[in-house]
Amino acid sequence: MIRPVRLVWTVLAYATATLVSLIFLYPYWWMLIGAFRRTRDVLTDPLVLWPEQIEFSVFASIARVGGVELWRYAANSLAITVASTLLGVMVTALGAYALVRRPTLPGFGLLRGGFLLTIMYPYMLLVIPVYIVMYKLGLLGSYLGIVLFLALGPLQFFLFEQFFRSIPKEVIEAAIIDGASEWNVLTRVVMPMAKPVVATVALITFLLNWAQWFPILVISATPDTYTLPVALLSLNSELGSNFQGIMALAAITTLPPAILFVFAQKRVMEGMASGAVKG
Amino acid sequence: MTHALTDAWRHRVFYLFALPFAALTIVFGLWPIVLSVQVSMTQSATALRPDPVWVGFANYARVLADPLFVASLGRTLLYTVLAVAANLAFALAFATLLDSTVLRRFNMVFRLAVFLPVVTPDVAGFVVWRWLYDRSFGAVNAALAAVGVPPFGGIASPDTVMWAILVAEMWNHSGFYIVIFLANLAIRDKALEEAAAIDGASAWQRWRHVILPQLRPALVINGVYALIQFLKTFTVVVVMTKGGPSGSTNFVSYYAYQMFDQGRYGEATAMATILFAVVIVISVTAYRLGERGDHR
Repeated sequence: MIRPVRLVWTVLAYATATLVSLIFLYPYWWMLIGAFRRTRDVLTDPLVLWPEQIEFSVFASIARVGGVELWRYAANSLAITVASTLLGVMVTALGAYALVRRPTLPGFGLLRGGFLLTIMYPYMLLVIPVYIVMYKLGLLGSYLGIVLFLALGPLQFFLFEQFFRSIPKEVIEAAIIDGASEWNVLTRVVMPMAKPVVATVALITFLLNWAQWFPILVISATPDTYTLPVALLSLNSELGSNFQGIMALAAITTLPPAILFVFAQKRVMEGMASGAVKG
Repeated sequence: MTHALTDAWRHRVFYLFALPFAALTIVFGLWPIVLSVQVSMTQSATALRPDPVWVGFANYARVLADPLFVASLGRTLLYTVLAVAANLAFALAFATLLDSTVLRRFNMVFRLAVFLPVVTPDVAGFVVWRWLYDRSFGAVNAALAAVGVPPFGGIASPDTVMWAILVAEMWNHSGFYIVIFLANLAIRDKALEEAAAIDGASAWQRWRHVILPQLRPALVINGVYALIQFLKTFTVVVVMTKGGPSGSTNFVSYYAYQMFDQGRYGEATAMATILFAVVIVISVTAYRLGERGDHR
């Protein structure tokens, strides 16, 4: 039998947790129904929980944003995110592996220190001189410049570093005694073990880079290389605001990472927490 | 020396592995930082030319003498203190609630709800919040009116704007801090609480004197993360307030960005370097304080 005092606490705890969760989720619901309601209806009653009618006309109004077609922003988002994730995972994994295996090689300590300094620098203030770097390299306005800049991230590096440190030295030494070259050690011994951490890092990098907007805005010369968040920002700043269109574009920007997260929530939350703790 | 070189040559394959990582770190990390410091010492109009005019610390002097910048720095620090305190207090309370044995069922759903905003593109989240606060479209004032509370100024009034963006940023970030606290709570020594309970400690006493001291690692990590996070508050300002109304959310990173946008590269990078120094000093101090407490 449950004691009454405990029952009161249980009810209170569930009530609080449910209320907080609903407050956190409400903006998503408001955004979704906002995309389907007529502006007139929203002005009359912003609070309804179900649209009076489902109106798809909004998608015609955002088919072009800032002179560029919506599908192009979506394609840019996908291409830039996938490319920078693949590149970032490969480059960071190799780099972290080298730094963990031979931390005392000349220059490696300096490299790690340099990387740590870079991530201490306030991100949006790093982006300002990156504009100058891109200008000097002739990469302003190019996809290549955007992808290269988005490839590196602190969380990714710490997750890999932490994983490679956890591999017992004996495993690698045994392979070397058996005559395996360093390349074989990497491809035949380490990489098969690293599959779960590669998946976690790839997932988190995808989510983080999908959300990126400022470097993309700064490196872009025209809206042709904008991604969905950047397009949303420019639609939001346009005069004569199209409320319904803004909500629809916000929903399109939000749904892919939200769906991905719901399917991989445990891996994402644990990965982000342990990457932060070790960093 | 020769030994180090032969050693390096013997392990040359590791240099090959590290090469792409080193290239990206140098070109898109260290070079921009060096450039930033360099540009901060040149005249803005000539900053991008091959032969810039060097002005030493003139940009720093001008920035520090600018009353708008000083006000901006003060606003940034005030906002940081408020936001760090609010986020950590809420995250600690909610993590404690989620960790309690009472909430077994649906626990993952509650975690999912508070963490979803962390992986939501911040631009999209803040765009929605901007409209939630809107006087005619927004749900916030409609809901307040429905329960008979006077309207909230939201982002339109200089008196309430800081609270308005603080709430939006809490929605955006606190899930991350909650997950860190939860990870720490999961590895704590539960036997200590049982012992305290046998000794007659109340639930509050157990939380305050047994659980909270064990959460020091998470408090330090979250504290340092949150300090860095809120000192450089930027996206929420760009999306929701553009520094207004009447400069009340013109935080340093936004002010520096405006300078950059106007082509005043010298002043912009000087501000960036000053903020970098502030971030380093404050986060290292916070970390030291947290660590020192560890060795009591």
